[in-house]
Amino acid sequence: MAYYSTSQFKNGLKLILDGNPCSIINNEIRKPGKGQASNRVKLKDLITGKTLEKTFKSGESVEGADVMELDMQYLYNDGNEWNFMDPNNFDQFVINDNNMDDVRGYLVEQDMCVVTLWNDNPISVTPPNHVTLEVVDTDPGLKGDSAGTGGKPATMNTGVVVQVPLFIGIGEKVKVDTRTNEYAGRS
Amino acid sequence: MTAFSNFLLKQKAGVLQKIRQFFDDQAVLEVQTPSLLDVPVTDVYIDSISMQVNEAIEAKTQFLHTSPELEMKKLLSQGSGDIYQICQVYRDNEQGSQNFNEFTMLEYYRLDFDSHQLMDEVATLIKTLGVKGETHKLSYAQAFEQFAHIDILNSSFDALKVIAKSHQLSVDFDWIEDLQIFLFTALCEPKLEQFPICFIYDYPAEQSALSKVEKGVSRRFELYLSGVEVANGYDELQDASAYEKIFNRENDKRRCLNKSFLAADTSFLQQLKRPLPQCSGVAIGIDRLISQIA
Repeated sequence: MAYYSTSQFKNGLKLILDGNPCSIINNEIRKPGKGQASNRVKLKDLITGKTLEKTFKSGESVEGADVMELDMQYLYNDGNEWNFMDPNNFDQFVINDNNMDDVRGYLVEQDMCVVTLWNDNPISVTPPNHVTLEVVDTDPGLKGDSAGTGGKPATMNTGVVVQVPLFIGIGEKVKVDTRTNEYAGRS
Repeated sequence: MTAFSNFLLKQKAGVLQKIRQFFDDQAVLEVQTPSLLDVPVTDVYIDSISMQVNEAIEAKTQFLHTSPELEMKKLLSQGSGDIYQICQVYRDNEQGSQNFNEFTMLEYYRLDFDSHQLMDEVATLIKTLGVKGETHKLSYAQAFEQFAHIDILNSSFDALKVIAKSHQLSVDFDWIEDLQIFLFTALCEPKLEQFPICFIYDYPAEQSALSKVEKGVSRRFELYLSGVEVANGYDELQDASAYEKIFNRENDKRRCLNKSFLAADTSFLQQLKRPLPQCSGVAIGIDRLISQIA
């Protein structure tokens, strides 16, 4: 396995910390008036999604993580497992339902997603920034309040609940921003 | 020139003007000392930039000063009285958002001041320059106790390695002071971001550098503005023998790390046959300071 010295640290570099693959999001060099330099590094744990901060002695080496991000098509889920396909070679990958908590409400069959692989095993999925979902349940809109400011909750066909304008009804298709869980317009 | 860079020029000019006014009011004399030196600094983790000069006559190697400290101390030993200097200084192998190969330093010395009197004056100075907020003071031991629950002054090298390991930090250090400094950077410094102005004082004896050691602690201080280190001050060593001991120790460390430029400044030690008067001095990074003025 490759090791990386602090002098090779840069944003996006993938390292193993506490057994988990992490991605560097910020690398800052600290040099005390008297003393050795060190690197204060912010990392994102690619398994838990948590942000960590860690200080490395300058020159320290850390094990790299074999992490790849691939564009894949979401095929279907059977309740326990979610199936994806690499459209280049038709390889299929399966992700356990437990790892899908943050994204399961945004996956639409046939959509392209980014699947992160660690040692060739999929560990996380990033849906497209905008997806089109169908409203399956919401209160009827109030008549005459077409410029409604507050909005109302609507349940989508994927299960996720999104705040939508009052004029949106059941059966309508809407665009949702998957990064903020916000309504982004009619589709 | 953009409006922003014009603003920065004026801001720096204004700060320099206020510094000169401040010292003029206190009857502290402005001096200039050579920035091209025959002997590089011995500090093990500060690298001098070297250059060849006089190639057409008789080539020799010169070094850009990393701080005006020793040249100013020569003046102090000659009886200059209170002095200050604003100059560009140069350091090799520096990079990062807060570290540059060249920066502006204010260095000044006050006769008969101890480290606490100097801290008080530095606090007044930076407020004059526009730094806002309450001034906090924590001893090095208090900072470690409060932020990391470590008894730093009474922990052995091995004990500190166990602590570092428990925080999943590197333990690959040759000297206890390097590990102390690393633990401070990793565990204490992030907590200092909450204080607009914070002095850390009374460092472990192993980190005395060129400051006096009394009652087991070195009379040194550093100033952090919102977690950024901007100043480093000492109650200064006075005798040539004390300086020689520190230079030799730094050189021993350089040898261990296979670092270049081994030399003690004999002209400085020679000068100190007349010892330094009791004084405290501080170096302040002006560019970092300005970055902390809102």
